[in-house]
Amino acid sequence: MSRLIRSELLKLRTTRLWWGLLLGLLGLVALNVVPSALFAGQEFGAGVPASPGLQEIAGAQAAYGAGYQAGYLLVLVLGVIIGAVDRRHGTATQTFLATPSRGRVAIAKMVVAALAGLLYGLVAQVATVAVAAPVILARGAELRLGNADVARSLVLGIPGIALWGVIGVALGILLRHQIAAILVAVVYIFVGDVLLSGGLSLTGLDGAVAYTPNNASNAIVGGFTGFDLLEWWAGMLVLLSYGLLIALVGWLVGRNRDIV
Amino acid sequence: MVGEVIDEPVGGDGTIVMDGLTKRFGAVTAVQDFTCTVHPGRVTGFLGPNGAGKTTTLRMLLGLVQPDSGRARIGGRAYEELNEPLRVVGAGLDGSSFHPGRSGRDHLRWVAATHGIDDARVDALLALTGLTDAAYRRVGGYSSGMRQRLALAGALLGDPAVLLLDEPANGLDPEGIAWLRGFLRALAAEGRTVLVSSHVLSEVQQSVDDILVIARGRLVLSGPLSTLGEPGVDVAATDLTALRSALTAANLAYTDGPNGRLLVTTRDPGEVGAVAHAAGLPLLHLAPIANDLEQAFLRLVATAEQARR
Repeated sequence: MSRLIRSELLKLRTTRLWWGLLLGLLGLVALNVVPSALFAGQEFGAGVPASPGLQEIAGAQAAYGAGYQAGYLLVLVLGVIIGAVDRRHGTATQTFLATPSRGRVAIAKMVVAALAGLLYGLVAQVATVAVAAPVILARGAELRLGNADVARSLVLGIPGIALWGVIGVALGILLRHQIAAILVAVVYIFVGDVLLSGGLSLTGLDGAVAYTPNNASNAIVGGFTGFDLLEWWAGMLVLLSYGLLIALVGWLVGRNRDIV
Repeated sequence: MVGEVIDEPVGGDGTIVMDGLTKRFGAVTAVQDFTCTVHPGRVTGFLGPNGAGKTTTLRMLLGLVQPDSGRARIGGRAYEELNEPLRVVGAGLDGSSFHPGRSGRDHLRWVAATHGIDDARVDALLALTGLTDAAYRRVGGYSSGMRQRLALAGALLGDPAVLLLDEPANGLDPEGIAWLRGFLRALAAEGRTVLVSSHVLSEVQQSVDDILVIARGRLVLSGPLSTLGEPGVDVAATDLTALRSALTAANLAYTDGPNGRLLVTTRDPGEVGAVAHAAGLPLLHLAPIANDLEQAFLRLVATAEQARR
């Protein structure tokens, strides 16, 4: 297995994808964090309630949490690409000639996406603080990095981001078509989860809302979402379960599929 | 040159046995009841027109395509059962399955990593296949000939006892084809099993010992190259059974040809005519077959295709 993981890591390292996505990550973190830190606590008029201000812990967590969301979106995309790239470029043949067990290949890819996700997560969280700090300080607020809750959010965000990589690989394996899988993943994050949460709430299944992927993910870092969230460790377990479950379905569906 | 990067084959007997392999894609039967044995120490040409089922057969042999029935064994084992498969079987399936944004050397490195094969061997194979200068360039910029060379290098990574190459001459220049011929002969001489597919017989004619001819998914001929090209006489009679007996009595070898004809191994149609005449058998057809392998191959394929319409 360690050879297979090394091989998949090598695959990731030897194209321009990883640093292209890393640049994209930095850009997206900045785009997400700057307005989030800038407008925290702001009244927008038109009756929109203000988000918690930066003087509150929840406000600081929300400002930094914007970077987390940018991070997991990019790592989800990275995971999908790791999961589906072999089919897209015809390297599936060589991959399965070297390792006929498709389950082993899937596991190696999930491990690699998680490892890469940790690196991306670290970069995302460091960049988040770097981008947010000048804005927060300019608004005359404190960075709150010494606060246990804020620090915990930032640190736990790193494995939280990595878990989305596992989900991405599973989606890429299940859906196979790389572009389609990326679209499904991104649309789900922006639209699907909101609809699911709202739908569950409307049908009286409020208790299930905390278990949707986005809410489980938010539970890892805490902060302001408007929903009751799980404990951080339960959020991690739920996210991991989604990844493993989707991967299991992908494996069941695809383990005997012809590679042509 | 071969000896520098190719050691003695390991992994024992590299005999390939395919037994009743059948594969349907929807309504299309791509391969039907394909049964053959490919022997070590010989170069076997796997011949047939494009779309005849060569690639599907090879993919079934490699566990990439699940046959609807039948099975394939390499040295007595299914591909999926091989421990470290690249050390037993090296396959170059098509020239385009590389990530265009990765260098040729890095492609070989990720494949090598699955088997713990070191960079020194990667570099040796790049040198062997003439890709050293292009090693660090992205494959997207490679010519089709360079992709073929890279596929060959990939197939050789594990120093396999069995080598399967799908249309390896496609895109190679004449110099490359000549080199490949000699190289494959050298590998077979070391006792390896070499199976090379092609849709053009002349490409492999000078380097193969045995041939398998596939047309419309069926094996239509297998045996030494001479099976295809031995000069012979094509004969048909109203009473084939009696003709067979008469030929056997006259010590003339024959094989059953297509369309209810017999292919008699002799240069002289008169000899066959005389045997039939002596036995009082009316003939429907009597014609010599020239020793032109390409013609014989095309005729064989055309006959097989007509027979299936």
